[in-house]
Amino acid sequence: MAILKKGKGAFAGGGLVLFDEVQEAMKAENVLKKAEYPVRLVAPPPELRRGCDLAVEINLVEQPGIERLLKQKDVCYLEIRPLKGRDAGILEIVRVTDFSDWLMVKAANMKLTFEKKSGKIVNTSGGGCPDIPVMHAELLEKRVDEAPRPADIGYTLCALMLDRAMEESRSLWKAGGGA
Amino acid sequence: MMLIAGTVPIEGMPLTFGTVSAEGGYLLVGGQRVPCTQGTGAMVGAALATTGYLKLEAPQALLAGDTGQGQGSRAIYEYLIENVAELAPEVLALHYWLPDMAQTRLLCAAIEKCARRPVLIADAASMYSAKAAGLATDFDIFTPDSAETAFLADPDATHPAYVRFMLFNNTEKMPELIKAAYEHKNTAKLLLVKGAVDYIVKDGKIIATVNEPDVPMMEPIGGTGDTITGMVSAFVGAGLEPHEAAIIAARANRMAGKFAEVTPATRAGCVIDQLPAVFAKYLCEWSGVCATGGVE
Repeated sequence: MAILKKGKGAFAGGGLVLFDEVQEAMKAENVLKKAEYPVRLVAPPPELRRGCDLAVEINLVEQPGIERLLKQKDVCYLEIRPLKGRDAGILEIVRVTDFSDWLMVKAANMKLTFEKKSGKIVNTSGGGCPDIPVMHAELLEKRVDEAPRPADIGYTLCALMLDRAMEESRSLWKAGGGA
Repeated sequence: MMLIAGTVPIEGMPLTFGTVSAEGGYLLVGGQRVPCTQGTGAMVGAALATTGYLKLEAPQALLAGDTGQGQGSRAIYEYLIENVAELAPEVLALHYWLPDMAQTRLLCAAIEKCARRPVLIADAASMYSAKAAGLATDFDIFTPDSAETAFLADPDATHPAYVRFMLFNNTEKMPELIKAAYEHKNTAKLLLVKGAVDYIVKDGKIIATVNEPDVPMMEPIGGTGDTITGMVSAFVGAGLEPHEAAIIAARANRMAGKFAEVTPATRAGCVIDQLPAVFAKYLCEWSGVCATGGVE
């Protein structure tokens, strides 16, 4: 069976990229379509209108990968916002659980656990997006301050939450490994 | 037939459909070797361990490689939308994929056309897309953790990263979240909330909790929630009612963690390896499944 092409069929995104200028919105649409992201140009609702009258609707879950691509291609955008719960921002709270020799750091639905003594990542868990098992394999046995950042290698909001957990883990490790 | 659909972390692996078997610590599906690790692999592995113990037909799996950019996910959506009526699974369990509200709507519409509607189970991002698309009530079973339950309780969030409040493992507040999820019609008919205390909820009412054995070191282990969903799917496929399947799966997962003497560094495969021993010791007592070959 062949893998089907991306971007076919209907689209319901859940997120908007907002711009100052119409030209940047059109450039973003072009860049994202070339990378096979399902997107469409839309008029932002009045309460979300910041700069121009054009926005790009995206699948909100793909926000981290899209932000990285737009930055790589020098596309200037103002911000990315969810279409529902428009005043909501990305969750910033993290919680740390002490398992004696290990610390588990949890950010939203994602967890990263490292060994206090060595700083090695011993497990990641939670989430449900397809890049998470990839990162599970990529991060294990690496030190928290040497492992790649999920925000740099992932594409989804699950990856972004794992990155939040890694950021806190690095701080804890730098401050003495939580020991 | 029980069908599990989801992505696996193998770049370029094409859409693959077939009966699941195991070989040397890997799963075999349609000639592809899939690691039994966090995600769909762990779910399929636990389902296979369960059907294997019960001497039932092995699960069917629809898998595709996806490293986060969505190609494999879209292949799975489109194949299911086109073929689910013909495949006619009795149980359809959806797992890791890139959440896509439009594709989820098309899939639910296709499922409605099945001559016999499958028992519909979702975990991980397939649960996110079902909720975000407003189709949670089309599903029979969701298996969220505490953070994902907060997501289901939030009427606006389309992903757990955008939840307005997060209680993590605050078990005292969990009944409130469960109530809110049902009030907003953002959950399946049956909910198995995985956490320090596992809640089994039917149509909004908490009908059971499971908190023994207490193995807190299972929480950091990637894939130990996936194993519960795999077992739930297999037990439903074996003929148990969804709430019975959920209670037994929650108990068995905890006991497998205890048998494996897990630490936060344990891998999910070690927990799955213990399932046959757990079933041999406890399944008759818990379920009435006292001989292999099906539910008595």
